[in-house]
Amino acid sequence: MKRILLASLSGLALAAAAQAEEVNILMEAVPDTTYIQQLLPEFEEETGIKVNLEVVNYAEMHTKLVPQLVARSGSYSAIVVDFYWVGEFYKAGWMQPLDDRIEADGFDTSVYVPAMMDLVGQVEGTTYMLPFYNYAMGLLYRTDLLEDEANKAAYLEATGSELKAPETWDEYLRQVAFFTKDGQYGVVNQGLRPDPIAMEWSNYLFASGGSFMDEGWHATFNSPEGVAALETYIKNLNDYGPVGAASFSFDEAFNVFSQGQAYSYITYNFFRAAVDDPSSSAVVGKAEIMGVPGQTPEEGGSLNGAWGWAIPKSSPNPDAAWKFLQWVESPEIAKKRALLGGSPTRLDVFDDEEVIAKYPQTVALKELLLGSHNFPTFTYTPQFVEVLGRELSLAVAGEKTAQEALDTAAAEFDEMAAKDGRQK
Amino acid sequence: MASIELNSVSRIYGSGASAVHAVKGIDLKIEDGEFMIFLGPSGCGKSTTLRMIAGLEPVSGGDLLIDGARVNDVDPAERDLAIVFQNYALYPHMTVRANMAFGLKLRGLPRSEIDTRIADVARVLSVEPLLNRRPAQLSGGQRQRVALGRALVREPRAFLLDEPLSNLDAKLRSVMRTELVKLHRKLGTTMVHVTHDQVEAMTMGTRICIMRGGEIVQVGRPQEVYRNPADTFVAGFLATPPMNLFPGRLEARGDSLVLVAEGAEIPVPAATAPGWGGHAGREVIIGLRPEHLAEAPEGPAPAALQLSVETVEALGPETILNLRLGRNGPEIAARLPADGDWEAGQPVTLHADTARLHLFDPATTRSIPRGAAHAL
Amino acid sequence: MTAATPMEMRDRRFGWMLTAPGLALLAAVVLFPILWAGTTSFFDYTLIMPGYDNFAGFGNYAKAAGDGEFLHAAWITVLFVLAVVSIQFAIGLLVALMLNDTERGKGVYYLILLCPLLINPVVVGLMWRMILHPTLGIVNWLLSTVGIEPVNWLGAPDMAFWTVVLVDIWHQVSFMVVLLLAGLSSLPAEPYEAARVDGASALQRFWHITLPMMKPVIAITLLIRMIFAIKTYDIIYIMTRGGPGTATDLISYFIYRRAFVSLDLGEACAMAAMLLIVIAGMTALLWRTMRTAQDD
Repeated sequence: MKRILLASLSGLALAAAAQAEEVNILMEAVPDTTYIQQLLPEFEEETGIKVNLEVVNYAEMHTKLVPQLVARSGSYSAIVVDFYWVGEFYKAGWMQPLDDRIEADGFDTSVYVPAMMDLVGQVEGTTYMLPFYNYAMGLLYRTDLLEDEANKAAYLEATGSELKAPETWDEYLRQVAFFTKDGQYGVVNQGLRPDPIAMEWSNYLFASGGSFMDEGWHATFNSPEGVAALETYIKNLNDYGPVGAASFSFDEAFNVFSQGQAYSYITYNFFRAAVDDPSSSAVVGKAEIMGVPGQTPEEGGSLNGAWGWAIPKSSPNPDAAWKFLQWVESPEIAKKRALLGGSPTRLDVFDDEEVIAKYPQTVALKELLLGSHNFPTFTYTPQFVEVLGRELSLAVAGEKTAQEALDTAAAEFDEMAAKDGRQK
Repeated sequence: MASIELNSVSRIYGSGASAVHAVKGIDLKIEDGEFMIFLGPSGCGKSTTLRMIAGLEPVSGGDLLIDGARVNDVDPAERDLAIVFQNYALYPHMTVRANMAFGLKLRGLPRSEIDTRIADVARVLSVEPLLNRRPAQLSGGQRQRVALGRALVREPRAFLLDEPLSNLDAKLRSVMRTELVKLHRKLGTTMVHVTHDQVEAMTMGTRICIMRGGEIVQVGRPQEVYRNPADTFVAGFLATPPMNLFPGRLEARGDSLVLVAEGAEIPVPAATAPGWGGHAGREVIIGLRPEHLAEAPEGPAPAALQLSVETVEALGPETILNLRLGRNGPEIAARLPADGDWEAGQPVTLHADTARLHLFDPATTRSIPRGAAHAL
Repeated sequence: MTAATPMEMRDRRFGWMLTAPGLALLAAVVLFPILWAGTTSFFDYTLIMPGYDNFAGFGNYAKAAGDGEFLHAAWITVLFVLAVVSIQFAIGLLVALMLNDTERGKGVYYLILLCPLLINPVVVGLMWRMILHPTLGIVNWLLSTVGIEPVNWLGAPDMAFWTVVLVDIWHQVSFMVVLLLAGLSSLPAEPYEAARVDGASALQRFWHITLPMMKPVIAITLLIRMIFAIKTYDIIYIMTRGGPGTATDLISYFIYRRAFVSLDLGEACAMAAMLLIVIAGMTALLWRTMRTAQDD
């Protein structure tokens, strides 16, 4: 009964939308959004559907979305979903399954990087989203410092090894210590709670050989590797970074890096483009990005991150929304977005010669993505980020030891995972 | 106990071209124990002078002396004067008792002394039942008494009263007038009282200081000022209705002087006013108080005036007639006993007491003295 | 009381008719959300599973009261409110007293003082984050020119607390100034003159005349400012997110996260209800102290 009612309601909404043919989407104010804005006229010309992008800051997105998602008929035709809302949106049943539409229109999802589909594509075997763009984290480092002959000589003398882009986590940490000299920092960190610190530290965890949990969703990040990762993090922040990094968000940390004050900065890969923007950077052409190095040269330590497109259950016009999704994720548009500077999620775009010619770092970014690790996504991801951020920040502030902080966070993780019915 | 002396004291607001001279270098000596009234219309500088004495306004020029000591730069707190304000200026958040005790506490008087003084003053002013109330719970008259009490408990060298009765209704005002006079007689403390009410001035003070435009016009005992106003301003200010003032001409006719005004000729025996002889043939302003007109001849040299009644104000004990002198002469008032029966438009003959006539110089407005022979 | 005449009845009915829309609106806008939140606080209500199926009794309240993080946030909030309100009051009163004696250019001072108050708190937070940036901010640069080591404004727990306090003071102190100044300028002048003649020094006049006469204004000002301070959220969100550690984790931000990050509306409502009760109690207490103090 309820379903019939819902269907008829959405039918009504559809009828209303058919006249106007408008697609409303709430989006974050990031570069990848502006690329879409630039391409939108093509879609509108092609289909006659008008697309309205409501662009807001990240902080406002969740609060704006939830009321519309809870409603029977919301105001958003399509939405973008950050990977760490996926569990929550899935659990609440706010997204429409896309498999029938994919099959009917023969949309190819096999071209997506598998880790992307795991993160912001399928949940429990059902496709709810199409991966939009990735913001996997990588290591921004200063190539000019590595190539400097004096540095090379001094490094050889100090460590007995050659100065080059680090292949392992330990090599990177030695470079951080080495480059902290003459008013320059080896690293700049983003210690603001909750997500900047939690996301950044996740790279340290993976790079140190740790993991968030085992197969049965039991916390493992308070293992010796995890504790070592946190102790390294605290040491980097306090000894090799600028004063105040404990309160930096990513923009402030990036400022320090782009002003040439730090050798390295672990951050979202879309900052790579900003390094070469002379209006915001003093290190144009002097920095490169790579995957966060792991324990061995073969392993990566990067944290994966991505946004996905979805059609909410409360969408007033899901068909028009699907048309838009098909267009925006079509090979042509995905490539055009990449050429404008977007962060791809499709392998065909990563391997496109034109894209590689324009952005040589695309190759490194693909490597980075393939070697990246996922953050636990479940119903309580946002809450877990909150807890993890708080405990990490407490450890950085010296109010708890690394072990105490991680034990607390692990206990709360187990509790949440159990509540979510994940633990086996 | 204090004498207060002002030597060319002035008060100037602002500076340069826009400077306002509120008080223009006045000289006055208030004797110890005097009840001095500052009388004048609003804006005449009387309140400013009082506030300079209190120390609430700085003295712009001249010397202000209390008991012979120059106090121009002495803080009000150190002058040991008490002031009662027009709006009473009670401390709204304090009880009546606290209001009275405040100044004493600040002066470090012992508690017992404070209590005794308050008890005494409260008894004198009959405010004992009010001691624990707040100003907001008092009537206007009660607040007035409390304000007075606050000044009294201080036992200051002098009391300064800034129009303290002007916010009271007529009946209460007359009661307080008497009480203040009694109080002064009992305490013998110097009091300086500012008012614009000539009744207060006439009834309360030992001397009146009449001010106008920042200057002192006349100082003297009330009856003296009433009898011999120094100029037309004083003449027209004291008493209600005030002295009739109208233009005329002084002419000599044999050994008699005649005042010729529109609609009347008033003979004045030259012997009663030897000082006026020299002014014969000149334009003058004639001053005649309403109470010096009567139906029957009065005084040594009465003169009959032909008038017509314009309006009648029957006040009960007396009647004020507004009359036209002659056919087109000036309008003058007469104060007559209430037993007459007048109607508007009715012609009437009244007799002026020429021995009490005043003449003023129209150019200077100053009084033209009658001279030594004037004796009544 | 005599029976109402027909005319009075008509008047009364007309009065009700006039006020009814306003009252209805007030009920809808104020009463409804409070009642809704109150009801929700007794249920196991999350945004993921919205619904009143699981009655929780005082469960949410017990959970909140036993939550160490919540109690810590409450404690931090108490410290924050005390620091902010008392310092703002002291500065505000001082500035208001000085401005009250100023005759020329009052409007200009007013305008300058009001500027911070007109700025959106989010902008204030961002602005100060930039100004206080440890390596790129102007404050540390200025300090370095006189040889002072860079200050870790937001990165060290104790310092971050006081930095947030200072920024809030910068932002909100003019509120105190404006309210206190309005109070001061409406005080009658006569009692001051009376006090001068009575022998009171400037300090004694302030203590015995100004403060007591200002009591009602001061009470209201403190109360409003205190309630605003308890609700402080934007500055924390922008400047520290409650960190480093939990040094600046104010209760409003905490409750916000419980509602919109954890999506646990039931517990968030219970926390909000507890906060409401505390604020109401404080209001009553302050009101009473001020009233009795006046009767001394």
